[in-house]
Amino acid sequence: MHQEKGIWVSTEELNQEESFLQSAEKEFVMEDLVDSDGAWTANRRDFLKMLGFGLGAATIAASCEIPMKRAVPYVTKPEEIVPGVANYYASSFVNGGDYCAVLVKTREGRPIKIEGNTLSKVTQGGTSARAQASVLDLYNTRRIQSPGSISNGELTEMDWNQLDEKVKGQLALGGQVRIITNTILSPTAKKALGEFTAKYPNARVVSYDPVSSAALLSANEQCFGVKAIPSNKFDEANVIVSFGADFLGTWISPVEYARAYAKGRKVDPKNPRMSRHYQVESHMSLTGSNADNRILVKPSEQGAAICALYNAVAALKGAASISGPAVNDKAAAALKKVARELVDNQGKSLVVSGSNNIMEQVITNKLNDLLGNLNQTVDFGTLSYQRQGDERDVMRVVEEMKQGQVGLAIIWGANPAYELPNAEAFVEAFSKVNTRISFNGVMDETTKVCTHAAPANHFLESWGDAEPKEGHLSLIQPTISPLFNTRQAELSLLLWAESANLNLEDEQPYYQYLKSNWASDVFAKQTAYSTPTAFWDMSLHDGIVELPASGRTVSFNEGASLNGSAVSKPGSSDVEISMYETVNLGNGSYAHNPWLQEMPDPINRTVWGNHLNIPVEWDGVNKINGWKDLNDGDNVEVTVNGKGVTCTVVKTFGQMPGTVSIALGQGRIEGGCGVGYGVNANPWLPVTGGLVQYGAGDVTVGEKVGEDKHFACVQHHHTMGVTAMSTKEEAVVNADEKVIGMDGSLTDRSVIFQASLASLPALQEKMNEFHEESDHLNQQTLYPDRTDYFGTGVKWGMFVDLSSCIGCGACQVACVSENNVPVVGKNEVKRHHEMTWLRIDRYFYGDLENPNVVYQPMMCQHCDNAPCENVCPVNATNHSMEGINQMAYNRCIGTRYCANNCPFKVRRFNWLDYTTADTWPANEEQVFWVEGEDKPYYADNLVRMVLNPDVTVRSRGVIEKCSFCVQRIQEGKLTAKSEERAIGDNDIRTACQTACPTGAIVFGNMNNADSEVNQKIEGAGVLAYQALEEINVRPGVRYAAKINNRNEELNS
Amino acid sequence: MLLKRISWLLTILLAASTALSAQGTIEEGKALFTSNCAACHAKDMKSKLTGPALAGLEERWAEYPREDLYAWIRGSQALISTGHPRAVELWNEWKPTLMNNFPGLTDDQIESLILYINDVASGPKDPPGGPTAEVTASKDSGNFWLFVGMALVLGFLAFALMRIVDNLGNITRVQRGEEPVNKTLAQTMTSKGFIAFVVFAATLIFGYKTVDNATRMGRQQEYMPEQPIAFSHKLHAGTNKIDCQYCHDSARRSKHSSIPGTNTCMNCHSAVKKGSTTGTSEITKIYASIGYDPIAGKYIEDYDSWSEKDIEELYKRWIGQTYVEDKSLKSMDDAGRIEVETQWDGIVKALKDDSNGKIQGPIEWTRIHNLADHVYFNHSQHVVVGKLECQQCHGKVEEMEVVQQYSTLGMGWCINCHRETKVNFEDNAYYEQYERYHQEIKDGTRSAVTVKDIGGLECQKCHY
Repeated sequence: MHQEKGIWVSTEELNQEESFLQSAEKEFVMEDLVDSDGAWTANRRDFLKMLGFGLGAATIAASCEIPMKRAVPYVTKPEEIVPGVANYYASSFVNGGDYCAVLVKTREGRPIKIEGNTLSKVTQGGTSARAQASVLDLYNTRRIQSPGSISNGELTEMDWNQLDEKVKGQLALGGQVRIITNTILSPTAKKALGEFTAKYPNARVVSYDPVSSAALLSANEQCFGVKAIPSNKFDEANVIVSFGADFLGTWISPVEYARAYAKGRKVDPKNPRMSRHYQVESHMSLTGSNADNRILVKPSEQGAAICALYNAVAALKGAASISGPAVNDKAAAALKKVARELVDNQGKSLVVSGSNNIMEQVITNKLNDLLGNLNQTVDFGTLSYQRQGDERDVMRVVEEMKQGQVGLAIIWGANPAYELPNAEAFVEAFSKVNTRISFNGVMDETTKVCTHAAPANHFLESWGDAEPKEGHLSLIQPTISPLFNTRQAELSLLLWAESANLNLEDEQPYYQYLKSNWASDVFAKQTAYSTPTAFWDMSLHDGIVELPASGRTVSFNEGASLNGSAVSKPGSSDVEISMYETVNLGNGSYAHNPWLQEMPDPINRTVWGNHLNIPVEWDGVNKINGWKDLNDGDNVEVTVNGKGVTCTVVKTFGQMPGTVSIALGQGRIEGGCGVGYGVNANPWLPVTGGLVQYGAGDVTVGEKVGEDKHFACVQHHHTMGVTAMSTKEEAVVNADEKVIGMDGSLTDRSVIFQASLASLPALQEKMNEFHEESDHLNQQTLYPDRTDYFGTGVKWGMFVDLSSCIGCGACQVACVSENNVPVVGKNEVKRHHEMTWLRIDRYFYGDLENPNVVYQPMMCQHCDNAPCENVCPVNATNHSMEGINQMAYNRCIGTRYCANNCPFKVRRFNWLDYTTADTWPANEEQVFWVEGEDKPYYADNLVRMVLNPDVTVRSRGVIEKCSFCVQRIQEGKLTAKSEERAIGDNDIRTACQTACPTGAIVFGNMNNADSEVNQKIEGAGVLAYQALEEINVRPGVRYAAKINNRNEELNS
Repeated sequence: MLLKRISWLLTILLAASTALSAQGTIEEGKALFTSNCAACHAKDMKSKLTGPALAGLEERWAEYPREDLYAWIRGSQALISTGHPRAVELWNEWKPTLMNNFPGLTDDQIESLILYINDVASGPKDPPGGPTAEVTASKDSGNFWLFVGMALVLGFLAFALMRIVDNLGNITRVQRGEEPVNKTLAQTMTSKGFIAFVVFAATLIFGYKTVDNATRMGRQQEYMPEQPIAFSHKLHAGTNKIDCQYCHDSARRSKHSSIPGTNTCMNCHSAVKKGSTTGTSEITKIYASIGYDPIAGKYIEDYDSWSEKDIEELYKRWIGQTYVEDKSLKSMDDAGRIEVETQWDGIVKALKDDSNGKIQGPIEWTRIHNLADHVYFNHSQHVVVGKLECQQCHGKVEEMEVVQQYSTLGMGWCINCHRETKVNFEDNAYYEQYERYHQEIKDGTRSAVTVKDIGGLECQKCHY
């Protein structure tokens, strides 16, 4: 059913329920101000006591002498460090198969921020939320701080020599040795493993990926004789069809794909062209939310859908069809139309599948072959190594261990006791291994059942390299000495293997090992440098090395037969479930990072936990309800394949009727702050032919059994420009203006503009009218004309292209990292107290049952006529001549009038002392604590090392908000002034801008006609608009309307 | 007449241009001197420091080819080994101190250096800080007695007027035939008017003082703590004229001016092993911090692993040995033993404290300049872009034996300066974007652009 309303955020809004109005009209939930667990017991006496104590304490404090402070200089100052000036080192973020080329910002020798490395041709300066947040893991209080032996999950410290002797003694016994890892990208680490297995021939390395691509690898081996993943060129494809592959969020190389994808999606209004993207899936993935059309199929129908598309293409191409199972009629009809389009774009289309069924991948490969995409958009000239694992190998090891054949097992990075579907069986079999060693950095589920911990360094403390793609080599260099008594895993392996290539006399033996490996292996493959030293120095400086492409071409091996009966069979059960990886948490390895936990899920907008996504239903009259009349936050009993768990539901648009879905990666049992949130969905994953499947039938969802009273979903927080039905006034009112009785004045707010490419001229006309109307309205103003004032010098502004924004959240985490934005925890988020300066609003539009999505990064708009400034009684927020809406924390007295008056709802109030910055640790027990720690999260000096020293750590009782990264502005201006030159685009780039993988955010000087930001705005023409342009606040941020390329024929 | 004017103009222009070109090289020479030579050679060119006074160096090298001088500067040891007479003469005079090699200096750069050296040596120069420092350093304490005097005069006037009013009143009363009223002092003191005045005045003064003191809370003007090392800025920056930024080098590069690391001290003090006033008592603290053996004249390899006893033994030996030499004694005397113990105690007190339980490691100075919380201040902005003299905010440090805080570091003090200070608007291309101001200057409607005009009073210039 088409929704004429335009945009919407939730069922409550569509139904115009009053609960929505209540949630939206109040910026914060007041009735729940004190945690319902602890009753608020203060009375008049307490108040007087507090008052008396407060006055007394203040008097004493004032009469105290100022404490003496020390100034401690270096003994021998390192040449490269100037106190107060940041150093950047090129390195690489690697976690299993996840890769990102990064620059690490360090201040006085401690890493505080991750930036993208623009020299890399893989990530091209883009980053992911995971990479941005990785710096916080370095300062995780739960890191294992020393090697030791483990019994009953408790670590008894040992020194490295003792451990080495012990391990070598065990290895000398000659038993079977298994090293269980995730994908290893490092060529030098592989060499070290090679030395280890050469020394101990009974040793074998087994890799698997927490979310598997094993079928893809096997299929590629069958079809092309290459067991690797090709480069998928999303930028060169006019038509993209993805069968459940979340390539913008989580699949293989999302940063690389997102950049390429966005390239094909940027619309030049003068020459409107863009790619078309079909997503075939049941739950709305991040990629699906960006697709032009989603074709809904149940998880079990993926194979049938691939067959259907194959047959449709084959029919058009005159190739033989295959007899596969039938897909639902709607999808079948849609896929026929898609096939036509694919055939029209031969060599310029791309079909990908996230399936873990070999035959489905084989048919997908054949599809690309039929469509002439091989060696075009599917390029085997540069292979991707980002997924190499195969869970069948690890299943075999489980069997070996079960039979007691393995004497020693080493866990490196992997966490099979959590990640495997048969984790219980693994743990049982694992316990039969005599010596079990873990390199993992925290006491996770697997390490807990090991006998020894040999903790490896964090990647920011390590030397290393990575080859994410063939010929794209990337170095990892340490940016801080190891904080604890940890040692690189590679070094441990080499020591245990008693490697002859390791010189223990060196201060950093693995560094020398790496360097000599590069001198012998990589140096020979390049031509730019003539000496290994020069080559090494430059590689280390740049962080990356690009070797010439192989130029390999492949052809489809006709021996690989297509067998329609080998694809997954559509199930007959009423309800099916899909389990998916989220952009922030992966399959759990990021669950102990509070920045990522507090980053809302892009689609269902929940934090701190995974929730069962249930479909919504139109009741045929006037309401949209959750499936089974369930509501957000309701607990239900879910049973999959006989295993039952209580889940919290969240209504999700775009979830196919008859299916539900849940994210992987939550429900961690051990290892850090993620413990206790959500449920572990891994045991539900079925295994077919040894391969883990991410969908299951045989699902029963029970009735409501209760509510999660801390259910935290930011969907209805800080809403703007939305309307609802008020029962009191019996009229549709504007949520944020209801209180002041402005009903009906401007209910049609301009927050989002969107249109399909086909109706672009209509949108342009509409926006033209809109701009004219707004201009007219805005001329009726009482504000003085300040053109001269703002026209002098610089004026900062931002441009956000909604067509490029994919909602991945990298900018949000980057902002948290750059600006010391605190983590508040689940209960505080529930009370609308989340502190993020930059939020990504998600709006739906189009078809109710299968809507499209637009993401809008929303930060302080730095309005020229800022409403917040006029109402501040102490002038704590005011305007600079450079166009920045300034916030002086030390002047703020916390009236929150500004937050009330902000039409964009971007101001955040420090209800509690989240960062423990106050002198008086009053209500620290209410701020964010990690379970089992003896002090609040931010009170730990280890965690505080991540704080950016150039940004004030705010304390309780003040408002804060986006500052346009003023610290970067001041730094950039100073550099330009010192060098006596005009300021340029590259002098200042905000944290969100540098983090963005698609270049959706541009920042710069609006007074310079040649600046990038002005060029972009000009390029967007009438499509550029200001949010709430009609209310004359004159924001400094421009958005460009979201354009999709929806195929309207598909739903007719 | 016209011709005369033109010729005058030409002369002036010519003079200006030659001066400009000469200055250019002198400027370069100054920069080179500061970064390369000032560590060892006195800035006034006339006094000896670690290295000889440089004034008159051209005359001393006059009988040799210019290239010899270049060679000497680039690599003195090499020249000595060739047996060059002037080089050998210098070596004999200064050994065992060796001059550092500067192989990177070009002929032109050396000429610039010589130009600068001659320039300093010849002309009488303003003391560092110059007249600006003079002006800013003057305090308003001189007005105090003026105010006291004025208060006395006004008080006397008020008293006289009161008497006159009383007398006039009495005269009128007498004329009307009433009794004249002669209030006693006690009556005057208890009159309503007087009490009201006293209460008013007390409230005013008390209120003013309260606000004034409240504002000063947390400020430490004139704070002059004792430091672990009796380092004398007067000696280093004043007498020896070492440039401020030689030690506080990050002032031009960073927001912090930074206290120099011990290795910076060692640039000079590997040669200057005794202080002119403190002897071994202070300089040995530097050695004990970094691990330098002054007897052997080299750094100790594994100093970190040394026990306190070993350290004590070494430096006591050094202090004792120097004592004996200085006094020309044959052997150690009792006073000397006491002296050694006292100096060693001083070293322990200076270097060993709660946070650092051993002698080795950094010298923990007492921080004097503490900015209020939530203020961002950047030294390089003021030193490099604003081209301020250090003395403007820090006072005449070169005259301070013990450094004290000169300014209030309060916000009013910052703001005042931002209101008054004119931006170097013409010479820096960064400011070209302020087109309106440039136009106004051109039109004559604006005389100057102050820091305030380019946003220097805005909150988020300093608070973020």
